[in-house]
Amino acid sequence: MTRFGGILVAIAAVTAVAAPFFLKPFGIFLISTWAVLTIAAIGLNLTLGYAGQISLAQGAFVGIGAYTVALLTPAGVPFFVAFMAAGLLCFAIGWILGYPALRVQHHYLAFVTLAFTTLVFLVLRNEEWLTNGIYGITGTPRPNLLGWKTSGARDFYFLCLGTLTMLSLATWWMLRSPWGRAFLALRENPIRALSLGLDTRRYTLMAFAIGSSLGGLAGALYAPLVQFIEPNSFSFGLSFNLLLMVIVGGSGNFFGPFVGVLIAVLLPEWLRITQGYYLIAYAAAVMVILVFCPTGVLGLIERTRRLVRHKVTGTPPLTSGAGP
Amino acid sequence: MASFIQLLVSGLATGAIYALIAVGFTLLWQTSQTINFAQGEFVMLPAFFVLAAMNAGAPFWLAVLIGISLSVLILGILFKVVVVDPMLKYGVLPLVISTIALSLLLKESTKDFYSSQAQPFPALVPAIDVHVFDAVVSTQSLAVLAVAIVTVVSLNLLLNRTRLGRQMQATAQNATLARILGVPVRRMVLYTFLLNAVLVAIASILVSPIYLAKFTNGETLGMAAFIAAIVGGFNQVRGAILGGIILGVLDNLSAAYISSQYRGAFPLIVLIIVILLRPQGLLGRIEERSV
Amino acid sequence: MTAVLEVSNIRKTFGGIVAVDDVSLKVPAGEILGIIGPNGSGKSTLFNCVLGQLQPSAGEVRIDGKLTTGMRPCDLNRLGVSRTFQLLQVFPQLSVRDNLILAGQEHQGSMASRLFGRADAGLSDAAGEMIEFFGLSHLVHERAGSLSYGQQKLLDAAMAFMAGPRLVLLDEPAGGVNLTMLGQLRERLHAYHAERNATFVVIEHQMEFVMALCTRVVALAEGRVIAEGAPQDIRRNPAVIEAYLGH
Repeated sequence: MTRFGGILVAIAAVTAVAAPFFLKPFGIFLISTWAVLTIAAIGLNLTLGYAGQISLAQGAFVGIGAYTVALLTPAGVPFFVAFMAAGLLCFAIGWILGYPALRVQHHYLAFVTLAFTTLVFLVLRNEEWLTNGIYGITGTPRPNLLGWKTSGARDFYFLCLGTLTMLSLATWWMLRSPWGRAFLALRENPIRALSLGLDTRRYTLMAFAIGSSLGGLAGALYAPLVQFIEPNSFSFGLSFNLLLMVIVGGSGNFFGPFVGVLIAVLLPEWLRITQGYYLIAYAAAVMVILVFCPTGVLGLIERTRRLVRHKVTGTPPLTSGAGP
Repeated sequence: MASFIQLLVSGLATGAIYALIAVGFTLLWQTSQTINFAQGEFVMLPAFFVLAAMNAGAPFWLAVLIGISLSVLILGILFKVVVVDPMLKYGVLPLVISTIALSLLLKESTKDFYSSQAQPFPALVPAIDVHVFDAVVSTQSLAVLAVAIVTVVSLNLLLNRTRLGRQMQATAQNATLARILGVPVRRMVLYTFLLNAVLVAIASILVSPIYLAKFTNGETLGMAAFIAAIVGGFNQVRGAILGGIILGVLDNLSAAYISSQYRGAFPLIVLIIVILLRPQGLLGRIEERSV
Repeated sequence: MTAVLEVSNIRKTFGGIVAVDDVSLKVPAGEILGIIGPNGSGKSTLFNCVLGQLQPSAGEVRIDGKLTTGMRPCDLNRLGVSRTFQLLQVFPQLSVRDNLILAGQEHQGSMASRLFGRADAGLSDAAGEMIEFFGLSHLVHERAGSLSYGQQKLLDAAMAFMAGPRLVLLDEPAGGVNLTMLGQLRERLHAYHAERNATFVVIEHQMEFVMALCTRVVALAEGRVIAEGAPQDIRRNPAVIEAYLGH
């Protein structure tokens, strides 16, 4: 990471910590949402940006995580246990879904995850005895961790921010390890990777399972954050939105999800001017972005920086993309 | 028994429509690596073209022609030139995501610019009940079946008996080889897009009288197309036809015999089972990648 | 003594086209076998069948006596088989050093050890040695994409050797390389072969390269073996000359 990037990250970190002291409750809610959805986006970025697979079920995994916590914590299960359960459950489901789907070449995972999302929605809606159906589940309590009560908006935000930080560090570490090199190889040139002994199927499956479990962990925080969950919140719309967030931020870029989710969370506020046409504008914008800067916002910034440096110092701008 | 025949007939009719959609989808994938996630919306849209033309005063038959032409123009040519060609440069992944965004765009646009309410759509023939043996079968189902069968048979004749069709097939099997053999590959790819546009338009006109023209139609129809294509065998046109018919029949039978709450789940479970047990589909071959 | 590589009656058809027609080969340890033939004679297809990239329509492949037909390339690689590619396939975004570490990391430990172990998988030294061996020391931290074509070819070979394979299949290693680089490449291949007693199978068009490097040559035409023997004999073989001139 360059010095410039390092400075930016430091500024962002300070802002993230200081922000809740300057914002009204709704503002704190927005940044808490940002923190939670970024966890899900980091997971999807692993699947899409690093392993090159399209998952249309990340929203469903968020839902599974949310319902797991919403059902377990009121029954007396400690939050931390429910949190881990959400993550493990989604990891296992991801593995089971991915194992057959990734044996074939053609992006079958996209279709399987699409089908899975619909199935999850149907189960959540129909099995009222478990999930309360369309009436949803209200009042998921915010946890009390070793004496620290997080029911207040600001406290809960710091819980979300802390979780985001820890999970990001874990992901960063994974990407610095030989696994990160393997992901890059299988994304860039899977045939070559195979010939070097790299089990592309195993790594892709791992990326998808871990990515899905991150979705579950995000859901585990989402339930106590919004305190009302129902099947519609976790339909294809959420999966699609997460996909767009990852792309807009810059797929395959470590900080992409942070930026993409920030834009998406603030966008409805900005797009109030378009009134009902917000979704159309969003979808159209995505297609435009894909054509003109497929590397997303961060890729665009990177390219602009190189161009500026080239003009100022004369160093030739390299044409390939940036790595972590 | 009578109701079983009814279900079978209507299942075949639905299946024939799914087959049309799945064939177009498979052809696009085979010839140009285009996984068109908006295929469902492509089927939803032409009905609205027809309705719009009728609102402007055109008689049904003319509106249908206009609908098919608009479909060819927008869902065929424009789709290829504006969406597929620019994105294919970057690979299959960006193209897939583009088509996902496109499906959303088409769905929301229809909802906002036409109507969010389901619109009645004129049937090809008046719906009279006919008695076949003991069963009561709607003329509509028979008409749909007839049109669909004619279309599929013509498609088969086109692909297998005409020079143009064989060139399209060659392009689909192996574009590089086809080019060496003198086939105008780029033109063949364009024709595939046009063909798909015609197929989805026909499917649209057949399906809308039954389901009404609604902006959400694309979701179920698209899913049906993907499942039919995969179940039949992703790289086979015949597989797409078989997959579509099987799916249509199973879908209708399951609606009668399985709880309606989970009705939509049945095709999805079929998909997951097929991918688990036989990922190359019923008629597909396992593909290999060579260097 | 079992041959390192034994190919028996391999046949591969694509639709109606027969790309490889009943080809059999035995490659003893330590041999450098050259495979020559005009374009379309089935050399690359044969390679791909041996390497698990393609499933042969008929026939068997055995490595050290073990049946490996249709095994996945990554499993073959872990048995000690390596390859280089005709179309350059280094990882342009990674440094030279990282390319080599990548080439070696999957051969040791497990998924878990790779996740929780050192970032360089303990291979920095080994990578360094390989870099020195191929004379790329001044480029250690350069991005592989910025190397010249010839340098990338050397890197490609280095990656293939990183895991210490017993059998290396080289697909047109001399293609597009200038004369000085060519000499260096050939010399390095000889050196590696001498040091490790590895077995090579080389597909090549350039006759001089084949003559200078290989101990035995097999000539293919239209998917069949038409001649086999010492390089200088093959060069004079009338059937071989005919096959080349006929194209």
